[in-house]
Amino acid sequence: MDAILWIATNIFGEAAILLGVIVLLGLLLQKKNASQVISGTFKAIIGFLIISAGSGVITDALTVFEPLWKEVFNLSAEPLGNFMGQEGFNAKYGSAVALAMTLGFIINVLLARFTKLKFIYLTGHMMFWTATIFAGITIQTAGDLSFGKLVIFLAIILGLYWTIQPALTQPFMRKITGNDNIALGHNSASVALLSALAGKWFGNKENDSEKIKLPKGLEFLRDSNVITALTMGLLFLVGAIIISFKDTPGAQKLVEAAGDQNFIVYAIIQSFTFAAGIAVVLVGVRMFIGEMVPAFKGIATKIVPGAKPALDSPIVFPFAPNAVILGFLGSFVGALIWLVVLGNTVGYVFVPTMIVLFFHSATAGVFGNATGGVRGALMGGFITATVVAWGQFVMVKILLPDTVPDTAMWAADSDMFVLGPIIRFLAHLLF
Amino acid sequence: MKILTVCGLGQGTSLILRMNVEQALGDKGIEADIEHTDVSTASSMQADYIITSNELAESLRGHSAKVFIVNNYFDMDEINKAIDENIVN
Repeated sequence: MDAILWIATNIFGEAAILLGVIVLLGLLLQKKNASQVISGTFKAIIGFLIISAGSGVITDALTVFEPLWKEVFNLSAEPLGNFMGQEGFNAKYGSAVALAMTLGFIINVLLARFTKLKFIYLTGHMMFWTATIFAGITIQTAGDLSFGKLVIFLAIILGLYWTIQPALTQPFMRKITGNDNIALGHNSASVALLSALAGKWFGNKENDSEKIKLPKGLEFLRDSNVITALTMGLLFLVGAIIISFKDTPGAQKLVEAAGDQNFIVYAIIQSFTFAAGIAVVLVGVRMFIGEMVPAFKGIATKIVPGAKPALDSPIVFPFAPNAVILGFLGSFVGALIWLVVLGNTVGYVFVPTMIVLFFHSATAGVFGNATGGVRGALMGGFITATVVAWGQFVMVKILLPDTVPDTAMWAADSDMFVLGPIIRFLAHLLF
Repeated sequence: MKILTVCGLGQGTSLILRMNVEQALGDKGIEADIEHTDVSTASSMQADYIITSNELAESLRGHSAKVFIVNNYFDMDEINKAIDENIVN
């Protein structure tokens, strides 16, 4: 008994160690040499610990962004509230998330082996976010669930989602890529499908986006660090300028937080801090996913003959690079509109993180262009902004306010918003 | 030999490219240390070769590594061809 308890606390209870063990097994199964096994396992563990560090940085910047825009919209400045946050959540439920992610992948492989849906989901960082957000919703709904129940519940949902999602987008993927070899494995499936349908009904297929020549100056839009800092910088700057002209107690309090520093400079530093936090988290994710996914793929292709990899959304970008930019522009405009509308109606400060908006709207843009040309691509972007803005509001306010609303503000995506209420319903029903 | 595979976010597609490049190099019997990363990080990293897409290659101009292009990250023919043309073993 003591041994089991020891293992439960020190291995299954410590997400970083658990992930290290999973990666270690994967690397051993692939028959990697000793040096690769050691470096891979260590990187997986360090990577996971980096994520918590970066999450703290993001949250700090968000706790300035939120009251800043609340004050701009004259909303009563109640703080974000008491929530666990990614850092605390990882410490308590990180192992369950890691294990659910692994078991979910195994379910995906088995379904691919024994059904006609031959898709193997390989977008590791998305697997991690989806598992985290779904866990957040489940804990929010069902309270402090037992480890086993939480893991099994999440693993089944994730396994089904990772198998079915690529199948749903595949008809359009065939159209975009011109072959049936690869599939989309990404949380933007819902907006991609919506924009393909919108493009079909309201678009003009003849006016293909790839016929236009876009200026070279838009190249920087492909660097995720730059777009994040740029757009958050603009929003912080606008918010800070408005605050500087206000004389309300709330505005004064915000300015005081800057101390001797000029408030506008302070706000700009916050926007870069936010981008820096995201960069830190992504380094961590890269370190452990980079070890995990090759192991997953190696195992899956051995077990499933004729498996089709379901891959990250940028695989569709080369097929319509202009539609990528058009989708982004459509969503940028949409995000600004929804920021103002949400602020003035439901009193929610929307955090339009470009990392979420860019990749999803770019995918939606490519899908929209495939059925509806330029108009389809722009609509795809706008649809993405709409789903992300309202989805974030529902997610943060209703689905997981006490668990990981901070993560939902920058890493929750289209499909999670669509599936979130279903997870809540199921968790309610079962636990 | 150090090789970087690069995409915009440094997470998904660059990892797929890394796995495919690893496979291609393995088939050719070339030993290499390959890492996947995003374009900003890549600009400040030491490497012998950088493999990325046409759009991102622009932003990596002037890097000490030899930058070459693979547009279709899962097309093994294109990857093999690019390696044969650019990597001197």
